[in-house]
Amino acid sequence: MKKTLTAILAIAFVFVGLGLGQATHPDQLKYQALKFDPPDPKTFRTEYANGLRAYVQEDRGLPLFNITALINFGGLYVPKDKTGLERVMSDAYIRGGTRTRDGDAIEERIDFLGGSLSFNVGERTSTLSLSVLSKDLDEGLALFFDVLMNPAFREEAFKLSQARLIEQLRQANDQPGSVLSREYERLLYGDHPLTWQATRTTYENVAAADLKAVHDKYFFPKNIILAASGDFRKSDLKARIDKAVSGWKSRALSLPAFSKDFPAPEPGVYFIQKAINQGYVSLGHRGIEDTHPDFFAVQVMNFILGGGSFTSRITTKVRSDEGLSYNQGSRFTTRWGFPGTFSGYVQTKSSTVGYAISLILDEFRRIREEPVTDGEMETAINYYLESFAGQFEMPQSVMESFAMLEMQGKPMDYYKTYRSKIEAVTKARVLDAARKYVHPDKAAILIVGDWEPCNEGGEKWPGPLEKLGKVRRITLIDPMTGQEVKTP
Amino acid sequence: MKKRALSLALMAFLLAAFGRAGEVTLDVKEHVLGNGMKILMVPKPGVPRVVCHIYFKAGSVNERPGITGIAHVHEHMMFKGTKVMGVTDYAKDAEIERRIDELMDRIYRERFWTTDGGDAAKIAGWQKEVDALVADQKQYIIKDDLWNHYMKNGGTGLNASTGSESTGYYVTLPSNKVELQMMLESDRMRNPVFREFYSEKDVVMEERRLSENRPGFLFGEQVSASFFVATPYHWGVIGWMDDLRKMTKEDIVEFNRRYYVPNNAVAVYVGDFDPARIVALAEKYFGPIPRGRDIEPIRTFVPPQNSEKRLYGEGPAPTSLQMMFHTPPDGHTDTAPLSVLASVLGSGGGGGFRGGPGGGSGRLTKLLVRDKQMAVSVSASSRAQWYVGAFQFGATPRLDKKVRPEDLEKEIWAEIERIKQDGVTEEEIQKAKNRGEAMFIRSLASSAGLAGRIGRAELHRGWRSIPADLEALKSVTNEDIKRVAARYFVKSNSLTAAYERKTGR
Repeated sequence: MKKTLTAILAIAFVFVGLGLGQATHPDQLKYQALKFDPPDPKTFRTEYANGLRAYVQEDRGLPLFNITALINFGGLYVPKDKTGLERVMSDAYIRGGTRTRDGDAIEERIDFLGGSLSFNVGERTSTLSLSVLSKDLDEGLALFFDVLMNPAFREEAFKLSQARLIEQLRQANDQPGSVLSREYERLLYGDHPLTWQATRTTYENVAAADLKAVHDKYFFPKNIILAASGDFRKSDLKARIDKAVSGWKSRALSLPAFSKDFPAPEPGVYFIQKAINQGYVSLGHRGIEDTHPDFFAVQVMNFILGGGSFTSRITTKVRSDEGLSYNQGSRFTTRWGFPGTFSGYVQTKSSTVGYAISLILDEFRRIREEPVTDGEMETAINYYLESFAGQFEMPQSVMESFAMLEMQGKPMDYYKTYRSKIEAVTKARVLDAARKYVHPDKAAILIVGDWEPCNEGGEKWPGPLEKLGKVRRITLIDPMTGQEVKTP
Repeated sequence: MKKRALSLALMAFLLAAFGRAGEVTLDVKEHVLGNGMKILMVPKPGVPRVVCHIYFKAGSVNERPGITGIAHVHEHMMFKGTKVMGVTDYAKDAEIERRIDELMDRIYRERFWTTDGGDAAKIAGWQKEVDALVADQKQYIIKDDLWNHYMKNGGTGLNASTGSESTGYYVTLPSNKVELQMMLESDRMRNPVFREFYSEKDVVMEERRLSENRPGFLFGEQVSASFFVATPYHWGVIGWMDDLRKMTKEDIVEFNRRYYVPNNAVAVYVGDFDPARIVALAEKYFGPIPRGRDIEPIRTFVPPQNSEKRLYGEGPAPTSLQMMFHTPPDGHTDTAPLSVLASVLGSGGGGGFRGGPGGGSGRLTKLLVRDKQMAVSVSASSRAQWYVGAFQFGATPRLDKKVRPEDLEKEIWAEIERIKQDGVTEEEIQKAKNRGEAMFIRSLASSAGLAGRIGRAELHRGWRSIPADLEALKSVTNEDIKRVAARYFVKSNSLTAAYERKTGR
C-alpha cells in the first residue's frame, strides 16, 4: 500500500521538480521574502502582588509549565573570605528544605512528578527554575514559591554540600581548559571579586547562617523578576501567584558599587606548566562592555576575525590552511556591568604552539591595518540579520531574556532595534573597532602546556617563546592545601 | 490532485502517547524517495525557521582495525568541498589532487610499509613536491564554501557529529531557505571530493590530542576496549592515533561509496514549513541520487565473557570506580526494565535535566552520598546501544573519609543483591515511569532535539520505536526488575575498573 503510493508520488514529483527551476549553484537560488517581527516585551510584561514583575507567555503546544525567578544576587556580592558561598548556596539551597518541608522530600516529590527544580547562583544573578507537566502546575507552583520565599538552610544539607565542594577542590587544576580560562581572567582583572577563587579555608568560613543572611537581604519581590511560559491561562496564573506572594514584603537594598579599575597586565608570555601534549592558549586583553555603542561593530569585526567559525580568518588560517588545531578563533565575552575579555584562542600540539600564536597575532594586526572585504562584510551582516529569528524559538528562553534585559536596565527595545544597528555597521566602522579594541602589542599570551617542547617549537616557527615577548612562569596553587602545585 | 495524493502518502501517524498527561502526540509525516532515502517532517508553525538534519547509518561500528576513526574523519571531509562547491576550476583542481595523492601514496608506502620508517631523504623530497602542489592548488580552492553559504543565509546550529552508530549533519535555516540545504546536502552526496585530506587529518589528530588531555580519557579508552572485546564498540569514535596517521584517501573514498548512499540516509525537517513543498524539493534534489548497494549489518557482537574482568589505572583524574555489565541491545524486552532500574538507582534528580553529581533522589545517591557520606557522587546508567548494550555504575569516593573505590564497589554489590532479592518499591517504579513520560514530552519542545531523536531512531528501529519504547517502559513490573538484576548483574558478566589519582600522565 505504502509502496504503491510512493511510486505514484515519485512519478508525480518528477513533474513538480521540473517546475521548480534548475539552479545548480546556491548563488542562483531565489528566495521568497520573509518577514519577521520580534515579540515585544511589553506584550508579556505583568506585575503581581507586592511589585513582583514578570514576563509571561501562554504556550499551549505541550502540557508543560516552566517558571524561573531571576534574582538580583550573585557571587560578586560575596566577601573575599567567604568566596565559594555562592557554590554552597547553589548546591544546598533546595536540599536544605523550607520552614515546612524537608529538602529530601521536595526533591523526591519533584522527581516523582518527572519535573525539575534547580537553583543556581551566577556572577550577578541567581535563578530558581521549575519545570513540571501542566497537570502538576498547582503543586509545582506551591513548591516553587515555598522554596523561593522560605528556605531553611538546614545544617545537615549545608554541611554535606560544604564537604563535597571541598572534596571537589582536588580537581581544581585537572582540566587544562579550565585552568586557562581561570588564570586568563586573573591576569586581566587582577585581584577583584570577579576573579576570587574558593579554597578549603574560604569554604570553611561559610556558615549556614550566611546563606540565610543572603536570602534575607536579597530575596524579596522588588529584587526579583519572573519568567514563565506554558500551558495555562495568564489570568489563572496571576491569581495563583498573587496569592502565593501576598505576604511577601520588599525591603530597601543598596547594592555595592564595584571598582572598574583593573590592572594592565604586562604584555608577553605567561606560562603554566602541565605535562600534556598540546598547548592551550589564550591571548589578548580586556574587551568592551556590551552596552557600549561600538559593541555592534565589535561583534561584526570579531565575526570576521575569529568569531564566525569557518568563515573567519583565524579558523581559515590556523585550522583549514595549516591543520594546526581543531579549535581556534577569537571572542569578546560579555558580563553585566564590566568590560568582558577579548581573546584569540587555540589548542595545538606543543611543537606548533609558537607558530599558531604568531599566525593569530598576524590576524590581529591585519584586521587593524586594512579594511575587510565586501564579501566578508556581506557574510557577517547577513548572518546576524538572517539568523535573528532563531533567538525566539523557545518561549521560556525569550521570557528569560526579557527579564534579564529589564534587570540589567538595558533598553527594552533591544531586540526591536537589533537588526538596524547591525545594518548600520560599515567597513569603516569595522576598521575603527579593530583599531580601538584589538591591540596585539598589549596582548598577554597565556599558555598552559609542557614547557620544553612548547619552547622548542618546530620547523615553521622554532622557539624560544621569548620571541613573542618576555616569558613569565605562573605557579598554580592547590586550593585544597594552599601550597604550590608540584608539576612534573 | 497532487495535494491529495500527497496527504495520503504522508500517512500522518498520530499516537496518543498517554492519556494522563493530556493528548500528547508525536506527529511525524513521512515520505520515501524512489532511491530509498527517507524524509521525515514535523511541522511546527510559529517562528519562521526550519531545523534541517540528515543522518547516515554510518559510524565507528562500521569500521575495522586499520581504519578506526574513519567515520569521523569522513564527516570532516564532507565540509571540504565537492565538484561544485569550494572550487573555481574543478578540472585543474582535480589534476593537482591526483598528483598529490600519487606522491602521498609513495610517502605512506615508504614511511609505513617499512619497519625502519623508510628513507628520510626520499620522503623529504616527495614532501617538498607535495607542499608545492598544495600551494598551487590554493588558487582553485574556495575555503569553507558550504559553511559560508549557510552562514550568510542565516544558518545556525551548523555542525555535524559522528557517533558509534550514525553520523548527522545539521543546520537551522529561515523557512524560506530550506532549498539551500537540499541543494548543498544533495551535492555532498552526489559529488564528494576529498580535498585537503592530509591537512584535515592533522586537524583530527589535534582533536584526538584534546581528548587525550582530558584527565581520565586514556583510561576510559582502555576500559571500553577491555569491556567491548571483539565487537567494533571496542574502539572509540575518534579512533586510534596509528590509524589516523596511516589512513589513506582511498580508504575514505571506499567508506563514502559504501555508506553515503540514499538508501542509508534519512533527512529530517522540524519547524515552520509546508510539508508538500519539502517533499517536492526532496524529490528534486535527493530523488535523482542513485540507490547504493544494500548494507550488511555489523557481524561481531560480544562473545560471552565467562569470567570477571578487573582493571586498575592511575593518572591525573579524580580517584574513581566504574562497574560495567553486558546487556542486550536496544529494542530487547529487557531494555525497558534495565532503564527503569538505572533511573531508580542513579537518578540524578530533576527529570534527567539536572543530573549533576550527587543530586537527586536516586537510591545510590541517598545511600552513598547522603546517608553514608562515602561518595562525592554516584551514578547508574543503562546504555542500550544499537548492537550491544552496557549497564554502568560510576562513583567518586570521599577521600577525606578515607573511602577507597573498592569500598564503594562492595556497597554497590550489596545494593544489587538486595534488588535481586526484594526488587524495588512500587513508588520507585512509578517515579521512573513518570520521569520517562515527562522526558518524552519535553523532548518534543526542542526542534533540534526532536529532529535528532526521530532521525536516529528511524535509522535503527524506525521513529515509531520512540512512543513504543515509552509504552514498554510503562508496563515494567517489579518482577521484571528482579529478573534483569539477577540475569545481568553477575560477576562473570562484569568489568570493574578502579582508578587512582597520581601526579603525571
